[in-house]
Amino acid sequence: MKRKFNPGTVLAVIYWLIFIALAGLFFTNDFGLVDIHKTSIITAIGIDMEEREVQVTAEVAVPQPSQSGENIKYTQVQGSGLTIADALNEINAKTGFYPKLQFCKLILVGESCMDTELFQVLGCFYRKNYSELTALVAMCEGKASDMLANKSGVSQMTSEAIRKVLSDESEKSANSSSASLKKIATSEYSYSHSCYMPYVQVSKPGTSQNGGNGDNVGGESPDGSGGGNGENGGGGGSSGGGAGESGQSGSSGGDAGGAGQSGEVEFTARKTAYFSRGDFKGILDEQQSFALDVLKSELRVAVLPCNADDIHYTLGLKSVKSKIKLSVEKSVPQVKISVSAKAQIQGARVKVEPKKVIRDDVIPSYVLDSAKKVLVSRVSSLLAACRESDCDLLGLKDQLYKFHRKNYDELNAELLTRAEVTYDVKIESVT
Amino acid sequence: MRISVRQICFIMVAYTAATKLLIYPTMLSWFCDGAIIFPALINFIVCGAVIWALSFLCSKTDKTFFGLLQNTFGEIGARIVYGFFAVFFLFAALLPIFEQKQYVHNIFYDTVPPLGVFMPFFIFAAYAASRKFGNIGRCADICLPIFAGTMFLLFIMAFSDVKADDFLPMFSVPATTIFSTAARTAFNFVEPCWLLMFMGHFKYKKGDAAKITLSYAAGAAIVILFLALFHGIYGPIAPSRTFAVARISLFFPAIETMGRIDLILLYVLEVVMLFAVVINLQLAVHAIAKCSGFENYVIISLATNAVFAIILFIFDSRYNAIVTLYSQWLWIAFIVFTVLVPALAWTLRRRTR
Amino acid sequence: MITLEKQIDAVKSVLKSEDILVFEFASDEGKKFAAVYADGLIDKNQLGELVIKPLGAVKKNAKFKDIKLFLASPELKEGKKVADAIKEISAGNAVVLVDGESDFFIVGVKMPPMRAVAEPPTQVAVHGPREGFIEDIKINLGLIRKRIKTDKLQVKTFTVGEKSQTAISIVYIEGLCPKGLPERVQNEIAENKIDIIPDSSYVAQFMTKRPRSLFKRCGTAEKPDIFCAKVCEGRVGVVVDGSPICLTVPYMLVEDFQSVEDYYITSYRATTLRVLRIISLLIGIFLPALYITAQLFKIQIIPFQLLLKISSSVAGLALSPSVEMFLTLFVLEVLNEASIRMPKYVGLAMSVVGALVLGDTAVKAGIISTPAIIIIAFSAIGLYTVPNVVETTTTLRWMALIIAGSVGPLGLVLFVAYLICYIVSEQSYGAPLAAPFAPLIKSDLYDSLIKANMYSLKKRPKTLRVREKVRLKNDANKR
Repeated sequence: MKRKFNPGTVLAVIYWLIFIALAGLFFTNDFGLVDIHKTSIITAIGIDMEEREVQVTAEVAVPQPSQSGENIKYTQVQGSGLTIADALNEINAKTGFYPKLQFCKLILVGESCMDTELFQVLGCFYRKNYSELTALVAMCEGKASDMLANKSGVSQMTSEAIRKVLSDESEKSANSSSASLKKIATSEYSYSHSCYMPYVQVSKPGTSQNGGNGDNVGGESPDGSGGGNGENGGGGGSSGGGAGESGQSGSSGGDAGGAGQSGEVEFTARKTAYFSRGDFKGILDEQQSFALDVLKSELRVAVLPCNADDIHYTLGLKSVKSKIKLSVEKSVPQVKISVSAKAQIQGARVKVEPKKVIRDDVIPSYVLDSAKKVLVSRVSSLLAACRESDCDLLGLKDQLYKFHRKNYDELNAELLTRAEVTYDVKIESVT
Repeated sequence: MRISVRQICFIMVAYTAATKLLIYPTMLSWFCDGAIIFPALINFIVCGAVIWALSFLCSKTDKTFFGLLQNTFGEIGARIVYGFFAVFFLFAALLPIFEQKQYVHNIFYDTVPPLGVFMPFFIFAAYAASRKFGNIGRCADICLPIFAGTMFLLFIMAFSDVKADDFLPMFSVPATTIFSTAARTAFNFVEPCWLLMFMGHFKYKKGDAAKITLSYAAGAAIVILFLALFHGIYGPIAPSRTFAVARISLFFPAIETMGRIDLILLYVLEVVMLFAVVINLQLAVHAIAKCSGFENYVIISLATNAVFAIILFIFDSRYNAIVTLYSQWLWIAFIVFTVLVPALAWTLRRRTR
Repeated sequence: MITLEKQIDAVKSVLKSEDILVFEFASDEGKKFAAVYADGLIDKNQLGELVIKPLGAVKKNAKFKDIKLFLASPELKEGKKVADAIKEISAGNAVVLVDGESDFFIVGVKMPPMRAVAEPPTQVAVHGPREGFIEDIKINLGLIRKRIKTDKLQVKTFTVGEKSQTAISIVYIEGLCPKGLPERVQNEIAENKIDIIPDSSYVAQFMTKRPRSLFKRCGTAEKPDIFCAKVCEGRVGVVVDGSPICLTVPYMLVEDFQSVEDYYITSYRATTLRVLRIISLLIGIFLPALYITAQLFKIQIIPFQLLLKISSSVAGLALSPSVEMFLTLFVLEVLNEASIRMPKYVGLAMSVVGALVLGDTAVKAGIISTPAIIIIAFSAIGLYTVPNVVETTTTLRWMALIIAGSVGPLGLVLFVAYLICYIVSEQSYGAPLAAPFAPLIKSDLYDSLIKANMYSLKKRPKTLRVREKVRLKNDANKR
């Protein structure tokens, strides 16, 4: 008897075949893929240049067997090669773990990279889906490997402690100029061809790199001439030393860098490294970095010290709004920098009198004037640095291209030097 | 089970947009920098006009496109034209499949997996392509809310990092560049042909032409907004950012603490993208069936997908060459099939209602 | 003239079983009778009071018609053929044979062993009625009739099962449900020649054109209030003797996300619960799959801090993530199955063995990790928020798991797309399974994932294509 063709049965057979194939794949579980067991989770990367080779130090989270919560050991692993990819491959070869950069939240560029074009160094991170462009980038004092080898009291993970000082919150209080891979690339490939990143320094607990934001400007004169350049701060700041262990693969973070006897250090990022067309141009001091933050970030609360009537005041700035407007009048570029903020006295080197404290929200005009002068001096200082290095950190050339396209070819080359700058700074009491 | 006007409208919104979220934005910014929106607008306006004309034609006749062709050129002529359309739809499906493969391999997997991982796509495609128009419509009913929900969330996540002034160079891009970009990216626009195939398979009511055209405009608006967000986020580095939809929400602040929640949205959105890719295959199968007179959709679908799987296997590493082929040469064919032929449908002999 | 002995022999020649009892008795004047019945299925008191006692007054020469007047039973039929007598005795009725008569009486004194009407354990309601169907079809039909008092309520009863002769009733409201649907349902059930129908689930399988389908085609109701609400919406109900679960068609997937209580509480709460159910269900099906997808193919899905914890948990495990999850799910299924089948007094020990010995020890031994157990536990709880489709959803969970562990995220996405494509083309007696979402029926959305207030539900579901569309007639201004 001829059997009748049954499409349902054929379909059922096909489904079973698919199921068997999938089950086979499920249990063999091998597409050449890298699962959680074979992965090393890189949380930060340090990049140093050694002659022509790139030396990559990866901070790797090494999970330890534990069923009662997190038990992670952080270790530094090094590799080197002509490119970062080569170096990572060496790490893979050394450890047997496939390095995944998707969780790499911090890229530290060592001082040795200053002589190399920035995007030769960072280029690897922009390719394909290798890493996320949200990773923070910073230049560090000394070697990046040494910086990552430091031990922090803030977090078990050194990179996390560094990221805390580079965070958005830190930027919004003008304590650092946060920069991500994306921010750097979009600035660099804009018509300004300039970018910046925070400059990380290390100090021993109890000391201050530069004596703190308040102190280092204590003697700052309103015209800015006497302002500290940020290099004369407290001791303990030289971080290049130590970290002897980090030269070896698999070495754990020790008490290197600028660590004191306790072995724990603190990180600051009040200075800013800046680049033009990928070339390192210099480091902005704290005041210039503050000015950059005021102009480029949306500050929530910032602290501005000033002297008035021979008394040192520390003002808290709130609702800081800034605007940089470029206009061209008769072929002369005009830059108007407007800053407005609300202020209140947060501290003063004067004896506290209860009846006066209640009126701290109403700041005397001479104090406000002094604060304005300090702010203007800082911005002027920043502009001077930009002019000197022909580095358009404020994005003026970008504005020129976008809003004054017809003047672009004419003014582009000398925009920074020819621009006439006017300031409109308004600082008012909170109430 | 017929397709309804509502379902066609949903297709016009969701599938139109879903096919333009991966490589299209990158190509636009590659060709004409900040003027990313203009070429897209040109293409949308042209296709929108054709769609309006076609929907209006539907009000004049209840015949299918095949019926109109039959009326005018006879059975053989109709079959020949459908043969051409079958080839066209196969080409229209080919590049999006390659695109999907690239997208899936790069975004869905940490390490690039072997080609075999993508092959199950053809099992699904073979199944879906063997279904008829009613099924396409009902899938669209499900896909539209999924698409709307995921895109809404992705847009919300993207807004946090948009820089509006990055669009300003758009007015400095020469018109010739904009028009040439519009032409060279025309292969992304197949929607008028979808409507051409649906002709006569739905019951036209007064006002449906406006509904269909407005739905297409809504799809276009989503794409334009998406392009604006994409360029606003990446600005000068947009040409290097492929698979745009997977990139726009990366800078959402909650990602830092909650992980890549956008990936879940992308997985969900991928469901819609798959249907949007498969619709060309479904229409190709329909056209082949009509052309050959062999109405067994299952066998045609199996054969078509087997061929596509082989093509993908052979040309897997030639993705860039295929894109070049489309953007250098095949765009002309796309303009002919999506603009000229549908417009010429008005000249076909029809019996008025 | 046929003697009583011959009649008894005719019946006993077929019903030879010892539980078929014959009680012979005679009237005061000597007229002989015999009551034949299945032991345990009838109410002997009623038989005595309504049949045997009154027949004591029958005269010797009384005719068959006269004898009938003596019988006090409200359920009384006459029979002629032996085959009918056998059928009725098997069904639990008593047959009264009369000496000298070829005809006989069938007396409805059925009282099969049954439990009391109680709340079904799977459809417990805090608000609303607590009555549930039981295994007796007559009681069940009574419970239905108690709620629907209209003369339009129709019940068509027929038997299926060559050996079991199970009574099945089709219940519907005339003029409301789609024309021809009750007949179609009856034909589709009756055309199956099977030996026994032990439960309504057998019938449910006959009511589908695609028996291999993963999705059921009949709605189920264990409570008369649910059943009646569905019948009043225009559905056809099927009540099967011996089963406490009644069926309703046409069926839509969304029905199973609607709990009876949704209609007794505020619409806001009901909507929240429905959304919660769908989310829980999706989590239940896809969470284990997503978890291994993340571990194997895309660890970025997992937030960094959580990843560190998971990494610690899985570090040192001997099994790969997929096999670990497979094993954990397998153990869950075994425990689930065992806990249902095991006697209750072993249940506690079972829980201890399952939770403590297996769970805790396996984690400590490094065979499975803590997150895997959490994921599976959450998944199991999630699926039981919609208990009516748990058979389907557990199968889908296995499928998703296998696909995720083999093909990864793309496989999962394709699986979902395939399911969508499949479900949207499925129908149950003319109603699309995925309605009111595909095809989108706007008016029916108000009682789908959202539950609008009663005034918004003035019309019966459009999907059901009922003949009488309006169900709430009230002041038009009232909203």
